[in-house]
Formats: sequence, C-alpha cells, structure tokens
Amino acid sequence: MTAPYFELGYFGARGALVAALVIGIAFGWCLESAGMGSARKLAGQFYLTDLTVFKVMFTAIVTAMLGAFWLGRLGVLDLTRVYVPETYLVPQLVGGLIFGVGFALGGLCPGTSCVAAATGRLDGVALVAGMWSGVLATGLFFPALERFYERTPRGALTLPQLAHVPYGVAVLLVVLAALGGFLVAERIEAKVRTSVTPAAPDEMRRTVAPVVEGVGA
Amino acid sequence: MIARSVDASPRPYANPYVAGVALGLVLLAAFVVMGRGLGASGAFASSAAGVVAAAAPEAARANSYFAKYLGGDGPWLDWLLIEIVGVGMGGFLSALVARRLRLEIERGPRLASGARLTAAFGGGAVMGLGAVLARGCTSGQALTGGALLSVGSWLFVAGAFAAAYLVAPLLRRLWT
Amino acid sequence: MSGGRERWVTRALAATALALGLLAPLAGSPYKANHSTIDVAALARTVAREEDHVTALELAQWIKDRRPGLRVLDVRSPEEYDRYHLPTAERLALDSLATLPFHADDTLVLYSEGGAHAAQAWVFLRALGYHNVYFLRGGLYEWLEQVMNPTLADTTAPARDAFSRAASLSRYFGGVPRSDIRTLPADESIALPGAPRATSTVPLPARTTSARIDAVRRRGC
Repeated sequence: MTAPYFELGYFGARGALVAALVIGIAFGWCLESAGMGSARKLAGQFYLTDLTVFKVMFTAIVTAMLGAFWLGRLGVLDLTRVYVPETYLVPQLVGGLIFGVGFALGGLCPGTSCVAAATGRLDGVALVAGMWSGVLATGLFFPALERFYERTPRGALTLPQLAHVPYGVAVLLVVLAALGGFLVAERIEAKVRTSVTPAAPDEMRRTVAPVVEGVGA
Repeated sequence: MIARSVDASPRPYANPYVAGVALGLVLLAAFVVMGRGLGASGAFASSAAGVVAAAAPEAARANSYFAKYLGGDGPWLDWLLIEIVGVGMGGFLSALVARRLRLEIERGPRLASGARLTAAFGGGAVMGLGAVLARGCTSGQALTGGALLSVGSWLFVAGAFAAAYLVAPLLRRLWT
Repeated sequence: MSGGRERWVTRALAATALALGLLAPLAGSPYKANHSTIDVAALARTVAREEDHVTALELAQWIKDRRPGLRVLDVRSPEEYDRYHLPTAERLALDSLATLPFHADDTLVLYSEGGAHAAQAWVFLRALGYHNVYFLRGGLYEWLEQVMNPTLADTTAPARDAFSRAASLSRYFGGVPRSDIRTLPADESIALPGAPRATSTVPLPARTTSARIDAVRRRGC
C-alpha cells in the first residue's frame, strides 16, 4: 500500500475535503507561529532586517524535498503519482517578477494574508480583497492573456531532468545551497542587529497603539 | 476575546527553522495523503469563478480560465478553497494560544493607515495577476513546486525574490 | 525555547538535513522500484481489442492538440534519433526502461522504425504498470506515409474527405500531401522542398524509410 493514499481510493471526495481542512489548519498554524502573518516582519526580508521569510520557506522546501525523496526511495510514496506543477518557462518567470513587485508593495503573500486577516490585521483583509480583485480582473481579461499564458510549455519538467543529473544529486545541491544561504542569512541578521539603535523598537510600538485605539473606537 | 488595547505579553514567535520543518512536514503530509501539495492563489481563482458563474453562468463557462473551476463538485468545494479556510482557522488558533490576536493595521512608522490599506489592496491585485500567470503563488509554486524540484516553480521563486529586492528600495516609505 | 537549546535544535536539524542530503546521490532513483508483472490475459485482451496502438494520424492530432501528459517516445538508436525524430519525441533507451519516471497518468506513445521494438517496449511499460501506453504499429514508416506524405487513394467522396483531413494535419507538420493520382502508386515519388504542393514530383529510386527520411530532412525538419 503505497502513498498517495487518496489515489488508492481509501477515501472519497468528502474525505479529501476533510484532509484539506486539517492540512490547511496545520499550514496556517505553522505560518502564524513563525510570525508570517505580520506584514512588517515579512517586509523585513527585503530590507535585510528580518530574514524569517527566507528561513521558513527554504527550510520547508528542503524538508519536504528530502521527505519526498526518501519516502520515494523507500517505496512508501509513489512519486510518479504526486502531482508536479507543469512548467511554462516564460509565463512563470514573468508571473514571478510581477508577483514579487506586489509582494514588496503589500507585504504579505496570498497564504499569509489569510493568516493576517484571520488574526485581526486589517491590512491583511485589504490585501485579501485586493488579491481577489486582481485574480478576478485577470480572469475576466484572460482571453487577451491566453496566448502568453500558454507559451513555452515544458510539461512536468524537474531540475534533475533539465540538468541531466540523478535526482539525488539535485537534492544534495539544493540542501547545500539552502544551508549555505542560512549561514549567510544569520550573518546578515547579526550585522544588522548590532547596528540597530535601541530606540527603533519603541518607535514601532508607539505606532501600533494609536492605530489600535483608533480602530477600536 | 480580541484585545482592544495593546496585548499583554504575547508569546514570542517560534524559531523559524523549527517552524519551517513543521511546515515542510505538513507539505509532505499533503503529498502522502493527497498526492498533491499546498496552495493559496487557486482558492482565490475558484471563488472568483464561483462568483462570476453566479452572476453570468454562460460567460463563466465561456471563459477558459474560470471554466476550469466549474467542473467536478463546483468552485465552492474546491480543495484549495477548503484548505485556505483551514489556513485562516489555523492562523487564528495559533494567535489565540500565543495571545497575538490583535485588531490593527500593520504598517511602517512613516505611513498613514489609509495609505497602508491602499498599498495592501494594490499589492494584492498585482500579486493576483502574477499568480494567475505563474499558475500559483509562494504556497503552490515556491513551496510545493520547489520541494518537487519543478523548473518553472524555481523560476517563479527566483523572479519573485529578484523583483521584490529590486523594487523594495523604492518602497522604503511603506516600511521604514 | 531558551537560546542555547534553540541553537542545539537548529544545529541538529541542519546536521540531519546535511546527512540526508549527502546520502541522496548514493541512494539511486526515488521513483518506484521496478516491480513488474505481466498479466498475459489482460495484455492479450488489449491487443485483441486493438487498444494497444494508435495510427499516425491519431498521434499527429494528439501532438497538434498538445494533449496533456502526452509523451512521444522514440526507441531507436541515438544516431537514428538525431537524424530524424517525430516532433516532440524523446529518445527512450530500452535498457533504462525499468527506471524511468513517467507520471502514472501520462499518455505514452512508442515508435520505432517499423514497429517491432516499439511493440516490445509496449509490453515492458505495461508490465511496469503504466496504463496509457500505445505504439505506432507501422512505426516511423507509417508516420512518413500517413502524415508527412498522405496520398489520395482514389476519387470517392469518403476517400477525398479522409485525404483532406490528413492533408491539413500534414501541412501543420510541414508535410506535403500528394493528391496527384496519376503518379501513384508505382512511382515512389516524394515532393521536394520548394515544389508547389501536391503536383510537382520528382521520382526517387529507393522505397526504404531511409530515403524518405532523407527527402524529409532536405526540407529542414
């Protein structure tokens, strides 16, 4: 009995949605516990003051990547039945660039904006509304975008396939790159910590209080 | 339950690496249980499709982007939509336990609330366009596609980080 | 978590990741091991129902439609592959068949020169558990005949319909349909580059696939 269990018909559509809810709850919990529901914390990534986004994201990627690799190798998980997102080189690169601009502007991504909104952050609510509007508008104008959207398809292309290296080699390279990145991130944060004046944190707190009192009124 | 004044002693955030491992295990659980990964922007797409379908059914079906979400059990029972509801619930519960629930507008010290909300809305709209083109966002593409070593997903991550770093200096007023 | 304990935990996590990462290249492929079973009855039924193969025209339509999950697999030698291969085709080395990571739901279409090797590979892939596997029964020869140079068989209406469908598909792939019946079938001619469609032909001596491939290559596929 190899995973993915859904594919084996162990549970039907209702079961899948129960799984979705449970997985979502765990997902949201992890994000909030790391502070990813805070736009100011996330924005710190791009001013090199708080690199939590990088650490959480790439630790998660490495963990799941190693888990998928080893469970596959041990025959517990059938990797050929796990859905790998299809690659469209140009639209995904361009989409990423556009997304990055929005991220710097808004300070939250789609998932974390839901966490922010659920924990009382009204900027999170605004971002959710904006995101929804953006998706709606893009969908309505989709016919104009469709040709671009379909450009450069490559199927479920993976890095090992592209570079013609064994999967395990790609895994090792990603692990080394991530660990290296974490070391650099720690060093950057240490440098910023020693140069930040003690007054700054108080400034932040003074900003929050008036907003809260104003909103509560 | 929701504090109306600054919270008394909220718990500190979890270690980012520990939280990252936990998040990675959640993602792995999705692979094992469902054969798919996490996501977020798809939930926005299916709910948008649902609304368009309610307002103008033929137009929705004729639109090749929204039509995708109208099959099967329909857009309101989309896996990602249920998942994102869970994300909100999980975030709420975690903040509740950690005493971090707070009705506020997070913003940089120099920015007015109204401007912050406008920037958040605008940033969200731009991310909506990016996520549609890229077939996902940081959850679906960066985390899921990244872990599965999908080339397009890594391109997305590279593009997103590059653009954000390039644009951030122009947006200092928002955050610093 | 206190500072010291935290440092210990993160160091332990990093060490674990490093260890698992270093072992990965030594572990081989993470895709499911090649447990293969040949259910003769099931395979024989599939063959009898003719659900094991596709025609070149069907394959051409699938390629043109960008059928999701379609993988066209060429089982010939690297030299033959480099000389000419079907559009979107990948080379499949028969000896590495057992370890290839196709997605379970992909549509796999195999072809070889005449069809024999492709038919063998079909059995192997079915034995490995893939369901949507087909092969081109007439091989590359069938592709060249049906798609690159479809021919009008006779002047009846159904034949003309079939030909015009095949012809439009053919032109999509840069083929040259031949409707000039007077040059058929004794004349093994193939239209050459630059020639006006379907009417100008030059007789060529060889009947073999090789000659047809050369003629097609001269047009720069």
